[in-house]
Amino acid sequence: MNLYKNILIFLGLIGNFFYSVMDSLGYKLFFFFSCIKSCVTPKFYPQLLLNQIFKIGFNSLPVVGLTALFTGMVLALQSYTGFSRFSAESAIPNVVVLSITRELSPVLAGLMVAGRSGAAIAAEIGTMKVTEQIDALKTLSTNPYNYLIAPRLIASVLSLPFLVFMGDIIGVFGGYSICVHVLNFNPNVYLVNTFNFLQFMDVFSGLVKASVFGLIISFMGCYHGFHASGGAQGVGLATTYSVVSSSILILFFNYLITSIFFSL
Amino acid sequence: MKPVVKISNLKKKFRNKEILNDVNLMIYESQSLAIIGESGSGKSVLTKCISGLLDFDFGNIRYKDIYSLKNSNEKVKNQHISKFGILFQNAALFDSMNIYQNITFGNKKANILKILDAVGLNKDCLDTYPANISAGMQKRVGLARAIVTDPEILILDEPTTGLDPIMSIQINKLLKKLVAKQKLTTITITHDMSSVYEYADKVAFICDGNINWYGDIQDLKKTTNIKLKNFINGKIED
Ligand SMILES: Nc1ncnc2c1ncn2[C@@H]1O[C@H](COP(=O)(O)OP(=O)(O)OP(=O)(O)O)[C@@H](O)[C@H]1O
Ligand SMILES: [Mg+2]
Repeated sequence: MNLYKNILIFLGLIGNFFYSVMDSLGYKLFFFFSCIKSCVTPKFYPQLLLNQIFKIGFNSLPVVGLTALFTGMVLALQSYTGFSRFSAESAIPNVVVLSITRELSPVLAGLMVAGRSGAAIAAEIGTMKVTEQIDALKTLSTNPYNYLIAPRLIASVLSLPFLVFMGDIIGVFGGYSICVHVLNFNPNVYLVNTFNFLQFMDVFSGLVKASVFGLIISFMGCYHGFHASGGAQGVGLATTYSVVSSSILILFFNYLITSIFFSL
Repeated sequence: MKPVVKISNLKKKFRNKEILNDVNLMIYESQSLAIIGESGSGKSVLTKCISGLLDFDFGNIRYKDIYSLKNSNEKVKNQHISKFGILFQNAALFDSMNIYQNITFGNKKANILKILDAVGLNKDCLDTYPANISAGMQKRVGLARAIVTDPEILILDEPTTGLDPIMSIQINKLLKKLVAKQKLTTITITHDMSSVYEYADKVAFICDGNINWYGDIQDLKKTTNIKLKNFINGKIED
């Protein structure tokens, strides 16, 4: 009889666990669709959108550019080490441009922007939440979704592809400068090798990833900010959660999108 | 007098902590209601439920027999919220905007000079930011922002807390004027009994999640309710 009771309690615990997981997942999904809806229904705030594009896109340029530059440089050196062992140095430009455009530029830019702008979004909205500024917005007939979330969401979805494209160019330039100035490659041959094998899809898949990552970053920032509670500590937690969860989601979706493009 | 908002059997829980259980209250047109009660008794939570900023668990809030908040859709709720002007307990000014933008919030028709004058602010402060002004000034800016939209119902969450005695008297006078002249319906949360006597018509005393006492301001001093008496006179129950 006692065993039977214990099994029931155990099953109850499992049930409760799944219930709470589904409940929170369902709520996140609901929140996500409310956010998307706010991007396409009035009222629109073009001025705020421009501000956010400036903050997320333009101000992240130095960080993303530096990351791409050093990654391109390191990539050239490392692949030289490997390829020179079986005299395949001519493949280096190709390896550099493919790794940068398809993989490294989007992922690294995504992670950098998650740490930079995602954290800022969570902290800003979280502070507004715990200091009742979001409540104050509502009393001024302003929908906080349209006013706070939509500009950030749209701005990051637009900005990330731009950042990644710049990262592509800078990363390829990093590889080029190492190969030409340190490893004594012929500059013209390097460039020809770079562009000869590059296909539209390589760059395009990277930009698609970038948009998805932008959506992840701003959504996670907004979600955790909007649900912050309990003063400064709560805002700190929201920031941490937003960066951690968007980083993990970026890596997960990176694999997912790569495998989708792979099977095309 | 016609009731504007009717609150019936309102319950509100946070997780397992019951804050409000069975609150019944009427807010009448152009009447000034003071809500008093201990710290943590749920005064702010009650006004947030009334204005639609917080969802409640049970009971109902009706607006003039036109609609009720229970089971209402998002649109009705938003309409309801925008009927209120609220001075929040911590002012809740937008810290990314300067004082001018805080008060007008894109509303070009606002007569900013008149409003500034009404709340006793100088126009020199218009381009400073909320972080750079004192708490008392923040309260006044919050009040200006609450009245600039000509709300139907004004909610003031501790308007005089943190102000010096002179400023408190000024704010009380101003509120009295607003209530008398514009026939504004106001709900004031306060610990400051002098502001209650200054301009409140009705008083609601909230205790243990209920409206423990409700009545005219004249009857407040004659009350035999021990808890209320102790609260007003600042005594501690032995
Ligand atoms: N968002 C929330 N989550 C959990 N508990 C809350 C929340 N908001 C308020 N409470 C709790 O509700 C109770 C009442 O809070 P409320 O702010 O209404 O008090 P109050 O009467 O306004 O007090 P004071 O005079 O100090 O402002 C408090 O015990 C508080 O801990
Ligand atoms: Mg309070």
